[in-house]
Amino acid sequence: MKKLSLSFIVGVGMFATSYAQLQDEKDVTITMDLQPVLQLDMSTSNQLEFVFDDISEYYSGITHYAATILKISSTVSWDLYAVGRSNGTTAAGMWDQQLDYGSNNPNAIDQIPLSAVELRQSQANSGDGAAAGAFSDYSQAFATTGAANAGNSLYVNGGAITPPSTNDKYIAGHAGTSGTAGQDFIAGGSYLTQTGTTSDYYYAIDYRILPDLPAIFPNAANAAGTAFVDIVTANAAGNYAEPGVYTMYVQYVLLEDQ
Amino acid sequence: MHKNKFIFYTRNISKLKFHLLFSFFIIIPSLLKAQIHCGTVEFIPNSPLTQDFTFDSFNQYLGGITFNNIGQLRINVEDKAIVDPDCRWFLTMEISNSGGGTPAGEWETLVVYGGGAATTPPIDLLQIRLRNGCQTSPIDGLFQTFTNHGDVTNIIADGLARNDAGNCNLNVNGPGDYLTNYNEYTFTIDVRIKPNFTLKPGIYQLSVKFHLEEQM
Repeated sequence: MKKLSLSFIVGVGMFATSYAQLQDEKDVTITMDLQPVLQLDMSTSNQLEFVFDDISEYYSGITHYAATILKISSTVSWDLYAVGRSNGTTAAGMWDQQLDYGSNNPNAIDQIPLSAVELRQSQANSGDGAAAGAFSDYSQAFATTGAANAGNSLYVNGGAITPPSTNDKYIAGHAGTSGTAGQDFIAGGSYLTQTGTTSDYYYAIDYRILPDLPAIFPNAANAAGTAFVDIVTANAAGNYAEPGVYTMYVQYVLLEDQ
Repeated sequence: MHKNKFIFYTRNISKLKFHLLFSFFIIIPSLLKAQIHCGTVEFIPNSPLTQDFTFDSFNQYLGGITFNNIGQLRINVEDKAIVDPDCRWFLTMEISNSGGGTPAGEWETLVVYGGGAATTPPIDLLQIRLRNGCQTSPIDGLFQTFTNHGDVTNIIADGLARNDAGNCNLNVNGPGDYLTNYNEYTFTIDVRIKPNFTLKPGIYQLSVKFHLEEQM
């Protein structure tokens, strides 16, 4: 017991004389705020006019090539779509009639569907792997006249801005958030850093309106492009577009893929 | 017989206790004992620094943001009253994402904007550069990155022979201070972050601990 007591005392004494190394610390706290940045630079004329004052224009339509240039910069994965909209003063999903040229024929109606506008994008959609519809984008060439084709008809959802579904058309990316490259988004990036002749961040958009004769706008279709909504199909045989001035607008929506 | 056996065991246990206690109180404290070689080892000041990076334009994402001279490490190492020739010091920096449930290779998430399928920023986005007038550190002027929580980078390494100030040598680690040898005892901190376009928007945080300690 004496030995034990002695060792205990010595041990405690040794603890009391042990030292810690001299040291000091200084901390730097770094906070990073990553704000999502989506920039859509659009160069286009304020108003695109389609004046049909010649029979050949009714038959062959009027096309404005590269009337809109879309340039995208985004720090996050993104989707881009176009949607046809109007004020809905005539009817939801229809062009707004600004002026009536005085046709009182009962078959002349003012119900021109917004999807009568056709788009063609210069670069195919490389983020449409998850698309399930007949047409995933607007990259196909404008169809020749004579046979109705819904491949370029503008996406419309009753005049609302709602994004297209997997069955509808996007310009880039698509519905869904799989996170898998090529399926439903375009990865963040910018047209500024692209090289080569094509880019997923740069699109030239062509516009065409084809009234045909009688003016029923045969290529107007529903959102999925599975059914036509031309004036006759949507109304009655013998109907046609009432002469007048109509307006609508195409809204381009760039949104984060989420 | 049983009684004798019992006594035998208790005696052996007493011997065992003695050896254990002897080891615990005598040998281990001897190993733990460390002699102080320096009188003072400190940063002046040692108040914490903060630096906020806000990325809200595309150009910032592309080019990154660099903050030069977010702060300085001013070192003061003094001899004891009775000068010890073994007074030397070392300096390190250690990255921390607060640990806890944060994955080792990622920034600590404070807030997430939106719900996209993107990734949390990796720690190696952060780049830190130390520099002083005499370029005393082997990593002087070079941006350093870290991979995981707890990674340590030497600025002036431990275990080096004493290298006194005054000649702008590499690895100066002897007694001295930023007042008399400013270019050897002051380290300026630069920070750079260059994010990419695959990261989840939000607010994230890391801390860097600069550790100054005398050599044993």
